[in-house]
Amino acid sequence: MSNSRILPEFELLAPKTMSEAVDMAARYGDRATVLAGGTDVIIMLEKNAVKPEYVIALGEIPDLDYITYSKADGLTIGALATAYQLVQDKKVKKKYPALWQAAASLGSPQIRNAATIVGNILRASPSGDCCCAMLALGGSVVLESTSGRREVSIDDFFIDYGKIERREDEIAVELKLPPVEDASTSAFLRMTRMTFDLSKVSAAVSLQMSGKKCKAVRMAMGAVAPTAIRIKKAETMLEGVTITEKLLSDVAATVSRQVKPIDDVRSTADYRREVSGVLAKRVIKAACNV
Amino acid sequence: MKKRAITLFINGDEYNITVDADETLTQVIRNQLNLTDLKHCCGRGECGACTVQVEDDRYPTGKKIINSCLSLAAMMDGKRIYTVGGLEKGGTLHPVQEAFVEQGAVQCGFCSGGMIMKTVDILENNAKAGEAEIREGLEGNICRCTGYTKIVEAAKQAGKVMAAGK
Repeated sequence: MSNSRILPEFELLAPKTMSEAVDMAARYGDRATVLAGGTDVIIMLEKNAVKPEYVIALGEIPDLDYITYSKADGLTIGALATAYQLVQDKKVKKKYPALWQAAASLGSPQIRNAATIVGNILRASPSGDCCCAMLALGGSVVLESTSGRREVSIDDFFIDYGKIERREDEIAVELKLPPVEDASTSAFLRMTRMTFDLSKVSAAVSLQMSGKKCKAVRMAMGAVAPTAIRIKKAETMLEGVTITEKLLSDVAATVSRQVKPIDDVRSTADYRREVSGVLAKRVIKAACNV
Repeated sequence: MKKRAITLFINGDEYNITVDADETLTQVIRNQLNLTDLKHCCGRGECGACTVQVEDDRYPTGKKIINSCLSLAAMMDGKRIYTVGGLEKGGTLHPVQEAFVEQGAVQCGFCSGGMIMKTVDILENNAKAGEAEIREGLEGNICRCTGYTKIVEAAKQAGKVMAAGK
């Protein structure tokens, strides 16, 4: 038998239905950690960053890996849908390119085969690529508990570093993204030293265009604050006006002033501040195809 | 549960075993089944040394690759898993193994099992994968002897053999 412990000791719970899972979450609260794809939670266990008595593993709940799109309801992503599945989905690629690009750049092929999109959002890492993309696209996280379901807007979901708007008795069942209009476009870009790295800085934008005029916009940056953040000042500058080179330069300068990055192993705050504006400009251009 | 009785199929062989709830798939395959061709290295999904293929009918080849260090063995009940140790058939090496030997794509050898399984997966998906596709596909597998050039050459050589064999 094993002579070298890798993960701390815990009791495994493998619910077969979501209602069993939420019962467990209600019973064990903060004594339990919820596990889906494992690419974050197993690492946190291995590093002793979490020491739960119970691990609630969702892997045996059937039919939770759905990705569906309809004109009325938009995009819905089930708790066990992986980054690989999302990247294979042609509708997502066409209608939600920002999220598609974020999922495609997540980790390595092995990671994308296991990691869930919902998990990437719940991890709420400042450099979480899907967090940044989803913030730009808008939408909500659907949480379930024994008292039913509630939807939390992605705008209210990220509270602080690693802190999210989820109670201990709740399990995230799906993400909802609003339907996209024909004139909508979006993009996600990130800066890394090598492609497999976590982002130094990331940027995402979704735009509703009318010719060269921007009707509506949401813009988000990652790895420049304790959570992915929206840059509302930049949105205000873009909304209702024609996008020109001059405007993009002004937006870039504003973004660089709005972000609050830190020095860490991947970059310095100064570099991130400088590059944020450049990346913001580039991501708008990428979305508009100019 | 603290322990769970599961069945694993490794390289086609059936194992009925009881595993601890907190054991990773890598640990069980190495320590309990004694299949030490599979390596445990970073334990954090960064290096790819523990890469295995797992059958999954949602994939075009019917198989996907994962880091076995990031899987709980107890959650793998009934899964069909392939490691580098299962590639050789009746004394004949797999074309990818053959190419790694011929190209000298092995230095210390610690990454080789994962690197070979990754290459097999890339080429099973597309035997005609070009250099860019191979290099992109190999992301997530690290060779600290830094012998990547020969690994890529080996993948290209094996791709030709596998494409011709189809």
